[in-house]
Amino acid sequence: MLKNYLKTMYRSFLNNKTFSLLNIAGLAIGIACAGFIFLWVEDELNYNSFFADGENIYSVKDNQTYDGTTFTFDATPGPLAPAMQQEIPGIQSVSRSSWPLNLTFSLGDKALSEQGRYVDSSFTSIFHLKIIRGSLHGVFSELHSVVISRKLAENFFGRKDPVGQTLKVDNKNDFIIRAVFEDLPTNVTVPFNWLASYHLFEGKNSWLRQWNSNGVWTFVKLQPHTDLTAINKKLYSFIQTKNKEAVAKIFLFPLKKWRLYNQFVNGREAGGRIRYVELFTTIAWIILLIACINFMNLATARSEKRAREVGVRKVMGARKKMLVIQFISESITIALVAAFVSIGLMYLLMPSFNLLIGKTLSVSIENTSHLFSLLLIALICGVLAGSYPAFYLSSFNPVMVLKAQKMNTGLGAVFIRKGLVILQFSISLILIISTILIYEQISYARQRDLGYAKDKLVYVELNGNMHKSYYPIRDEMIKTGLVENATISSSSILQFGSNTGGYSWPGKDPSKQVLITVESITPDYIPTMGIHIKKGRNFYNNIPADSNNVIINRAFEKIIGKKDAVGIKLVNGGSARTVIGVVDDFVYNNMYATPSPMIMFSDTSYANYLTIRISKNADVKQTLSKLGSIIRANNPGYPVEFKFVEEQFEQLFKTETLVGRLAGIFSALAILISCFGLFGLAGYTAERRTKEIGIRKVLGASIPALARLLSVDFLKLVAISCLIAFPVAWWYMYKWLQDYQYRITIQWWIFLASGIICLLIAMVTVSFQAIKTALADPAKSLRTE
Amino acid sequence: MNSLIKLSYVNKIYLTSQVETTALNNLSLEIIKGEFVSVMGPSGCGKSTLLNILGLLDQPDNGSYLLDGIEVGNLNEESRTYIRKQKIGFVFQGFNLIEELTVYENVELPLIYAGLSLEERKRRVADTLHRLKIYHRRRHFPEQLSGGQQQRTAIARAVINCPEVILADEPTGNLDSSTRAEVMELLCDLNACGTTVLMVTHSEHDAAYSHRIIRMLDGCMLDDRARSITKSA
Repeated sequence: MLKNYLKTMYRSFLNNKTFSLLNIAGLAIGIACAGFIFLWVEDELNYNSFFADGENIYSVKDNQTYDGTTFTFDATPGPLAPAMQQEIPGIQSVSRSSWPLNLTFSLGDKALSEQGRYVDSSFTSIFHLKIIRGSLHGVFSELHSVVISRKLAENFFGRKDPVGQTLKVDNKNDFIIRAVFEDLPTNVTVPFNWLASYHLFEGKNSWLRQWNSNGVWTFVKLQPHTDLTAINKKLYSFIQTKNKEAVAKIFLFPLKKWRLYNQFVNGREAGGRIRYVELFTTIAWIILLIACINFMNLATARSEKRAREVGVRKVMGARKKMLVIQFISESITIALVAAFVSIGLMYLLMPSFNLLIGKTLSVSIENTSHLFSLLLIALICGVLAGSYPAFYLSSFNPVMVLKAQKMNTGLGAVFIRKGLVILQFSISLILIISTILIYEQISYARQRDLGYAKDKLVYVELNGNMHKSYYPIRDEMIKTGLVENATISSSSILQFGSNTGGYSWPGKDPSKQVLITVESITPDYIPTMGIHIKKGRNFYNNIPADSNNVIINRAFEKIIGKKDAVGIKLVNGGSARTVIGVVDDFVYNNMYATPSPMIMFSDTSYANYLTIRISKNADVKQTLSKLGSIIRANNPGYPVEFKFVEEQFEQLFKTETLVGRLAGIFSALAILISCFGLFGLAGYTAERRTKEIGIRKVLGASIPALARLLSVDFLKLVAISCLIAFPVAWWYMYKWLQDYQYRITIQWWIFLASGIICLLIAMVTVSFQAIKTALADPAKSLRTE
Repeated sequence: MNSLIKLSYVNKIYLTSQVETTALNNLSLEIIKGEFVSVMGPSGCGKSTLLNILGLLDQPDNGSYLLDGIEVGNLNEESRTYIRKQKIGFVFQGFNLIEELTVYENVELPLIYAGLSLEERKRRVADTLHRLKIYHRRRHFPEQLSGGQQQRTAIARAVINCPEVILADEPTGNLDSSTRAEVMELLCDLNACGTTVLMVTHSEHDAAYSHRIIRMLDGCMLDDRARSITKSA
């Protein structure tokens, strides 16, 4: 029986090549698209799955409420981890970790800057590492021991055993390599290439020993089956038992949520990347649905051709069930063929896709989960696409179809077919409109006036003796004439990390605390960045002269509520500082948000970054080479890595840009697949109306009039799609834009343009068939009956 | 004599939104095993409806239909399909061969639905194709055959299951005069071997091959008479 079905299908395939190829191409593109999306989703969902016992691993987060708004942070007090281990039952291990830090490792002439962490010994019992050489025993109790990744080890020692060897760190101390661990996969949220003792880090940063400073990350592994709610209840005011004035309320945040659910709004989880994962999963299914709709439409449209076969089979004794099975197995077979074509497409396009998403994903049919998923998708498509035609075709009355020379397609089927075309184009339109709006929003934020000029601004992280040699380095740079100005500061201009809620000023409501960003700068900072001083003055070049003065931004001045905040005293922990200047707001941290209040000190002791403004007319490449040699001469033995503020700024739009690109590609493919279907449908309609066209032509109809006659019905469907898609797209994108404080207003022309684009594409698709039919010889077409 | 088909007071009315058409009006009819019966009448007289009801493709609104002594008028579709597979073979004016299947595969189709083994199918298809002198064309597709050969194939498909009765709906309607005679003789041969044949036709010439001619008008039987002279080829 199956053989008979397959034979019929194979020959029917050959007899209807265009139809079959449209079907397979549409489905294959759909499956490949879905395949790519699911690969990306798989990678996102598998983040951190590398670590064993992931379900028991947590990080400690803290909520701090200022002026009614709760902010959520990763930084916790240093003494928290040992206290939790001692006092909270159910904790198996707890470890402190520095924030990710770059250390410069060198051996001979070779120097590499690699990211890693200073951790407690318990860190490796929370995050199990595969040790390929050496042993972790005692590593973290020795100040100058280090554990490095295979990649780092091979960079310095090739295939030789590096255990027991030393690497110079930051050109100062020799660290003994105690062990080498297998490289971590790329999909972990806590990547590191080296681990060293937390005690060393704490020794350098003694403030970490205090309960009132939040400076380290705390990771926890719970004993299996521990009641998380009970622990969180105990932790809620745990810090307050140690430091009554502390604001932070801590809680455990599970590892499985670190990647996708790491956004908090007012102290509560507010999703995160998961919304993109969900969005693209939906898009994947929608694209498959569009491809399946093609199949359904083309199958029912050509039902006239198959009606006779259905009638004969029924008369010959086929039951309805058998016919349903026959048609569904046909569509499953076509879907399987499409699935195999899609594997080819995916192999071919994988490098481009990886380039697009900035990852190295791979598809492998040897991977049983991939193969199984692919077969499952093909099966779902086959059943989805085949079910409607199967029930429709198998319900034909054999008497009707065998007697009638020509079968009239049921009105119901035509209605459904039109409805499905409208659905396809509505979805495509929604995707097109969304894509345009996403791009609009991104470019709106990109072109935003940041409050400083970001072009020709480069920065470099301070290492070794750069901090001490800042002034000679700066002087030499200025002397070259290639540099307008330079400054050092604690943060890079785009990301500020420190803040405090401890400030008060005359007239402030004592019950409210306001979170204020804190930044240490030099007097050169404001001119280097190009920030505008609105009121008052800049810091004096003589830094100690301004040790009790601060500069604030407009946002802070507004909160203070005075027309002119210059001269106001700000008090924090007993020390008072005078506001000597107010600068215009400049955008930092969140490029879509209004700037938060900020306070700036003139102080070089916390500096981490050197920022340089290159002269307008200077050649950038030449300048960087010159600046690099100046830095290296003053701070030998360290690699110099310049970063452009403009490039880093682009990085901040990475997620949105990726979403925009993916949405653009998938909407283009959605419309392409929809057009395949439309092309096929137009072909069948033209075929069915061949005689009518012949008669009209004989009676004197012109070719353009005939082409219009054949196209207009399809174009009406696209027009109806516009009516459906416009409000849906508006509503969805309106909601999406609400997440951004700095956002575009949705403009009507985007809808009009999308509708016209869609209509034009549909017109080109349909008119090809229409013109072909209209040009046909009427004598021939009349004979076909 | 053994009655194969017995219709008693069968009615069939088709309703559309505007018109009510009486296709069969209190029709009673008996056909004996081994008969060759022609049904004639103008278009719309109910010939095809009669054939569809006899072939279990359609159901009477009321009345009784005994096929081989079993009441089949009110069976559900499943049971009708089952009986159709066992007892009835169809021949159509337009041949109704599946274009994607070869002569061999078209003829094999009823045996597949009857669930016969591959070996049995091979044997019976070969036998039938030999008997109908179309074996040499077994690998051809319908479009590669002449009209006569296509109808020969359709008849082979109709008889492959050894049905009790062959229902032929204007079997020569699409054929030229030389192939018409060929097909009619084939039906006569099958009848001579014991298969009951009921044929709807407009052609007096073709009807002359049968033992009995029923004339219909407006859903009623106008005339039912046995022919005394058998036409020679």
